[in-house]
Amino acid sequence: MLQFRMIKSLFLAMGLFLIASAAHVSAQEVNPQQRFDDANNLYRQSKFTEAAASYQQLIDAGYSQRELFLNAGNAWYKAGKTGMAVYSYEKALQLSPADPAIKHNLALANQKVTGYTGELPLVFFQQWWLKLQHMHSSNGWAIGAVLFLWLLIAGIIVNFLIPGYRNKYLTGANYLLGVLFMLYLLMSVDTYMIANNHNNGIVLTDTIKVKSAPDDTSKDLFELHEGMKVKILDATKEYCKVELTDGKNGWIICAGIKSL
Amino acid sequence: MMVRFSIRKCIFSLLLLVGVVNCAFAQDFRFTTTVSSNTVAVDESFQIQFMLENGVNITGLTLPDLKDFDIVQGPFEQRGQSIMNGRRSEYYAVLFALRPKRAGSFTIPAAQARVNGNLVKSNPVLVEVKKGNSQTQQQMQQQMQQLQQQQQQGTGPYAPRTRGGDEAVDGILRKGENINEKLRKNIFVKVEVDKTNLYEGDQLTATYKLYTRLPTNSSVTKVPAFKGFSAKDIELPNPPQATEETVNGVPFKVFTIRKTLLFPLQSGTLELEPVEVDNQVRLVKIVQNKRNKGGRDPFEDFFNDPAFKDPFFDDIFNRADVEYEDVPYKTQCNPVKITVKPLPAEGRPASFNGAVGKFTMDAVVDKTKLSTDDALTLKVTISGQGNVNLLNAPKVEVPTGFEKYDPKVTDNIEKNSNPLSGSRTFEFVLMPTEAGDHVIPPVEFSYFDPVANTYKTVKSAPFTIAISQGKKVKSEKQDFSVGRNELTGIESGILPWVKKQTWFITSPIFYALLLLPVLAFAGMAFYKRRKDYNTTNAALLKHRYANKVALKRLELAARYLKEGKDKAFYEETSRAVWGYLSHKLKIPFADLSKQLIQEKLAARSINGSNTSELFELIDNCEVALYAPGQDNRRMQGTYEKAVSIISNLEDALKN
Repeated sequence: MLQFRMIKSLFLAMGLFLIASAAHVSAQEVNPQQRFDDANNLYRQSKFTEAAASYQQLIDAGYSQRELFLNAGNAWYKAGKTGMAVYSYEKALQLSPADPAIKHNLALANQKVTGYTGELPLVFFQQWWLKLQHMHSSNGWAIGAVLFLWLLIAGIIVNFLIPGYRNKYLTGANYLLGVLFMLYLLMSVDTYMIANNHNNGIVLTDTIKVKSAPDDTSKDLFELHEGMKVKILDATKEYCKVELTDGKNGWIICAGIKSL
Repeated sequence: MMVRFSIRKCIFSLLLLVGVVNCAFAQDFRFTTTVSSNTVAVDESFQIQFMLENGVNITGLTLPDLKDFDIVQGPFEQRGQSIMNGRRSEYYAVLFALRPKRAGSFTIPAAQARVNGNLVKSNPVLVEVKKGNSQTQQQMQQQMQQLQQQQQQGTGPYAPRTRGGDEAVDGILRKGENINEKLRKNIFVKVEVDKTNLYEGDQLTATYKLYTRLPTNSSVTKVPAFKGFSAKDIELPNPPQATEETVNGVPFKVFTIRKTLLFPLQSGTLELEPVEVDNQVRLVKIVQNKRNKGGRDPFEDFFNDPAFKDPFFDDIFNRADVEYEDVPYKTQCNPVKITVKPLPAEGRPASFNGAVGKFTMDAVVDKTKLSTDDALTLKVTISGQGNVNLLNAPKVEVPTGFEKYDPKVTDNIEKNSNPLSGSRTFEFVLMPTEAGDHVIPPVEFSYFDPVANTYKTVKSAPFTIAISQGKKVKSEKQDFSVGRNELTGIESGILPWVKKQTWFITSPIFYALLLLPVLAFAGMAFYKRRKDYNTTNAALLKHRYANKVALKRLELAARYLKEGKDKAFYEETSRAVWGYLSHKLKIPFADLSKQLIQEKLAARSINGSNTSELFELIDNCEVALYAPGQDNRRMQGTYEKAVSIISNLEDALKN
């Protein structure tokens, strides 16, 4: 009798444990949509700091959405953290570079950055290239490349291996497919490289001294302020060599910047 | 003997000479006590003067006991030279202003002094004191004034020079005096600093003074720049007022040229640059009696300009042998080195921002309840003594939810305060952007106290601010066009929540998919190639061995011919011919027809007898097959024909 009860309670405990652990897991993995909506509500109640923290949690969890970054940028901006705002907008812009809302907000955030010099405008062909790049996502380009390769091979097979089908239209179509395949392959590689390029960073600390060499004792060259976008050229364990859009460069402590 | 005698004589004459010189001094020596009035009333002051004239090496002047009098002023010491009737005399005098305590007749005993080792006494003076009346005091004052005037004009009985005395008299250039020497002695500029070793940011007071005993019209031509210091000048009275100071027992008139509060901005050894003063010194020159003219002084000739012999000057001094001239003289003080120590590194608080001195801080917010439409002002006032004019704004840690603007700085520095004191007010305007209760952390201010040699930190209390949601009607700061300075709203909606973008390009599937059609193509191409190769190769072999095969078959046919099996013979012959043609012309066996063979042979330009004989043979064979009963001879002919045709074709096709 006693034994039976013990077993029963043991099972009960195990069941409870399982439920609890399941609940734990589900608590951790709360629907991101729910958390996003909660954060949006906090934002609408003017609790910007909390909203920004919620958005940031989602971002840190690995979610990468244009809207998420845009909202996070807004929240950080309103909470007075220009550096994080600029960072979020830049991230959003990476995902959709032609978005007017993001561009507008980023420009507003940059107004608050001390010493912001503005970025160089792109030359027309750079703009075209940028537009072309964002015609498809990186995966889209890759899928396109695969598709065009299949079509190309099929065309070649028909043209060369099956007697009686060879004609000049098919040959022309094959050349076109070949060009398209090359383009798609190139663009997919290019977009992948750009998306995984961490050479740019945003200054997050209020004021950071730029030094002439990567050590504490070296001379201070100039100061960078929160929200400044810099290009990371080189890095040691502690210091990063950065360059501004106007060509000034120097070494700063890596902890002060967050790479995009 | 002679030599010794002469030496003794020399020594004797030398001693004699000294004695004469001594006599010359002793001759003029006087020690006198004089009073301004021998009869005075009670409450009336009078002056008493003990004077040593031409005393050499005066020591131990013992003044008589003045117990019956109150000393109103004094003792004044006077020292100087006077030239009376071309005779130069030196004097030393002690003056008192005395007031009798009671009526009666008093004798002031003689004063004693040791002059050149001898004890000398002055004359005793009898003073009779009467009962006072009210008028006497005024009289006395008049007398005193008169006396002073006399002294200043240098026309008094002894022409005594009061301390800081009249420059006009000091400005007399005497015979044999070096003009430069005199200027150097009597005019100089000095810088006084209250400390020479101090901390960075600590206060230092530098005073530049002009010392003069001569009448001069001076102007400052070079002012120090105070490199490495922050300087704050103290305003000086205009016109400058002279004070009097005694340097090495000599009274000087002192003008303060510049008084500056200095705050070193860097550590190390700093130098206070000298100030340069241009003087126009007015010198009165005594020309010795006319009979001495053309004397020894080289300056005399130079200054004997007719301009200086103006009757105007003669009128003033009522002397014909006085000349008057302005001598330019440039003087500057010595640079002063200041050692500035860096502020100690240990114990330096994080909030330290360069303030050195003694300060208090007061931080207030103008309101604790406001809406997001409103602005909050945090006023931080730092007051005290020290480098108030160099104070930096204390760091205000503004919590998120506020926009902070640069502080407005107002100074309230006490004028001419030394040490510099006053206050500096920083007004931070904070714009709340978020509703809710916010806490502004305490404002912290640190300064270095050079007296206590430590850093000190003052802290305010934290401020709790309750912010309510406003109507968002606040005007924007830059561009007023609609929406230009507003963030676009947040975007909501159902999003495809994908954690981290997966990269198709890096996945193996992508490469597999790229490789697959290439492989398929390669496979198919390979297969076709193989097939093509195989077919062409087989045909080639058949072509090469077609003759042999045909000959083998014909051999078989010849055996059938001997055995008389006519049907088998024709069959074999026909097969040999057809087979030969099939192999040689690369026509599959099934496709063989007379028509095709003719075309093929025509394509290879084999016509005429060969072709017609070939077809004849084929026809013969076909006829013989379906109509048996042929004779042996005919069979023999057919055989020979087939052999010849095949060998002919072989020759023709080879070419």
